[in-house]
Amino acid sequence: MDRREVLKLAGGAFACLQLPAAEPGAPLFFTAAEFALLDKLTELIIPADGHSPGAHEAGVAAYIDRTVAEAYVPDEKTSWRKGLAAIQRLLKESGDQPAAVLTKLAASEKDPKTEAEKFFTQLKETTAFAYYSSSLGIHQEMGYLGNVLLPEFKGYEAN
Amino acid sequence: MLLLEAGRSQDTGKILHSMEWPYDHPRRGKMPPEYHALTNEYTIRQSPYAQNSPYKNVQSYVQSWGGTDYTKTLVVNEKEHPYTGTRYAWVRARAVGGKTNIWGRLALRLSDYDFKAKDRDGFGENWPISYADIEPYYDKVDLYLGVSGHPENLPYLPDSKFQRPVKLNYAEMHLRETLKGMGRVLTPYRAGVTTDGLKHNKYRSRCYGRGACSRHVGGCDIHAAFDSPTGLIRPAMDTGNLTLRTNATVYEVTVDKNTGKAAGVSFLDSETRKSYQAKGKTVILAASTLESARLLLLSKSSAHPNGIGNSSGHVGHNFCEHVMGPSVAGFMKDLVAKPRTLDDGRPGGFYLARFRNLDKRSDFLRGYGFEGGSGTGMIPGPAYTTPGFGEEYKKHVRDYAGATVSMGAFGEVLARYENYVGIDPKVKDAFGIPVLRFSYRFGENERKMAADMAVAAREMFEAAKFEVVSTSDEMLPEGWSIHEMGTARMGSDPKTSVVNQFQQSHDVKNLLVVDGSTHVSASCQNPTWTIMALCWRSCDHLAELLKKGEV
Repeated sequence: MDRREVLKLAGGAFACLQLPAAEPGAPLFFTAAEFALLDKLTELIIPADGHSPGAHEAGVAAYIDRTVAEAYVPDEKTSWRKGLAAIQRLLKESGDQPAAVLTKLAASEKDPKTEAEKFFTQLKETTAFAYYSSSLGIHQEMGYLGNVLLPEFKGYEAN
Repeated sequence: MLLLEAGRSQDTGKILHSMEWPYDHPRRGKMPPEYHALTNEYTIRQSPYAQNSPYKNVQSYVQSWGGTDYTKTLVVNEKEHPYTGTRYAWVRARAVGGKTNIWGRLALRLSDYDFKAKDRDGFGENWPISYADIEPYYDKVDLYLGVSGHPENLPYLPDSKFQRPVKLNYAEMHLRETLKGMGRVLTPYRAGVTTDGLKHNKYRSRCYGRGACSRHVGGCDIHAAFDSPTGLIRPAMDTGNLTLRTNATVYEVTVDKNTGKAAGVSFLDSETRKSYQAKGKTVILAASTLESARLLLLSKSSAHPNGIGNSSGHVGHNFCEHVMGPSVAGFMKDLVAKPRTLDDGRPGGFYLARFRNLDKRSDFLRGYGFEGGSGTGMIPGPAYTTPGFGEEYKKHVRDYAGATVSMGAFGEVLARYENYVGIDPKVKDAFGIPVLRFSYRFGENERKMAADMAVAAREMFEAAKFEVVSTSDEMLPEGWSIHEMGTARMGSDPKTSVVNQFQQSHDVKNLLVVDGSTHVSASCQNPTWTIMALCWRSCDHLAELLKKGEV
């Protein structure tokens, strides 16, 4: 559980704290500007809607920041930095239209070719994992009912 | 009895944390950063795949699934345990209980369609046993270890002594009914899991449907799923007749110079690297198919110049397994955007029994079955398959998670002499022991079968009126099924087989091999239960021989 998420949920039903619930400080790896862009992009990928909050509230950018900060192989770090820079360039060219940029990148997600296209698929996959493995994603968004001691599975007897 | 194990004893009851939420784990269940799981390296690199890797600990592809931090100590570091030769995704666990600590739990029987397959299609060799020989031992394994399933009365997929079956959910039941009309049988997952409990085993709980088996690489911290440490080894130690020596990497079966018989084994302490000898009246290898073959081949002496038990030259050969990869995924429209149901609270979804080459002949030999299921787990599958982003993407994931249905095929790879493993003349592992070199490739029959798997999978989903999202006809790399077999096959002719029907070496009477290496053909049914039934049968026979002094 990352620190941002802890703050949101402290006192709630899922307050199984492992990290001190301190005010989140500077990102561990990304610059403040990179982090802000990452946070914006992840929220665009999985936004808050009428059903539940999105990637921002789930602390997806903070999870990615922590993962990249401790990456063992330098390439894993630089790929994120370069990827964000590639998107930043596209944003500039588009006159700061992030949704339009992502729409264009998503159009080739089955077969990504450019650096920005490849980065989008990586970003989307990581965002999906970080969001749907968060407390917010599992419980609030998906309403997952499992991981309980189940006396009997409700289903159909083969006949 | 002395049991030697190359790995450590690890308490899966303590390390697996089956119910820990991902957000309660600092890396959401993933391995620490210095660990790496092989994925596409099998295809884009030459073995040894971990050579020159920048990571400290490189593990096989299973460690790229979920919850890999919990299983990282069970599987080997590929850097310490290299192998060479043709492409092969080799998954190895070095710990007491080996791969049974994380296996997929599908507990199936073979039938005379397998044991006497040569009589049906002329290919390969028959097994030296028939179903009637092994049936009582399948029964014993069922009752001792527990297996869940629903009887179907099929001659090609015999029923076990089942405990309470896994139930099917709505889409699975619908597919079962559809397939009935096509003469095909979809049955609840036959899981080597005790659903009713086992009064005679204090180490194992009944299954509580926590869904952990599909969230993690595998393993069950309450031991409802069979694993050999709690199912077999601890009960055996409680008899007082078994001594367990862990960290014992065996590198040679030693030979009595006067009699030519096995005298014992030489092993290295896996930590101190000191060499030891263990002596015994009989030596029983159960190191897994490929490691047992390696050990036989490494044990060269003047009496056994090609390796012990290898006068036939068949050790390492007739290597076979299951081909997998072809699959179908889709969803059932009736279930889209319906209230959430609990879909993963059971040890598996369904098994679809083989249907090819039973009565009619296809353009390939032998058969394949499917494993599959419907509904959502903790992390929704559509999160990774839904195109696009934004509100639409998010709603799609939410609405379709419970409606997904998918299945993947497992098919018999023909046992062919030309598929083999041998000892690499140069490369050694971290212990200085020569490693295996693979010479193993899928052939024409596997390619034809894989093409048919994909077509049949789509046909069945379309018949059920499922919306097909994707199909694949691509074979995953060799080894992916983790069902390697056949490198020391059974037979009645010492010229073409390594062991007899009681898994006793033709050449060396006091040497037995009791793992999947003795299987004559792969069948398409998973091998675990057959390995155990054969082992039980062979041990009964060995006990008789020992009583009579005939070993």
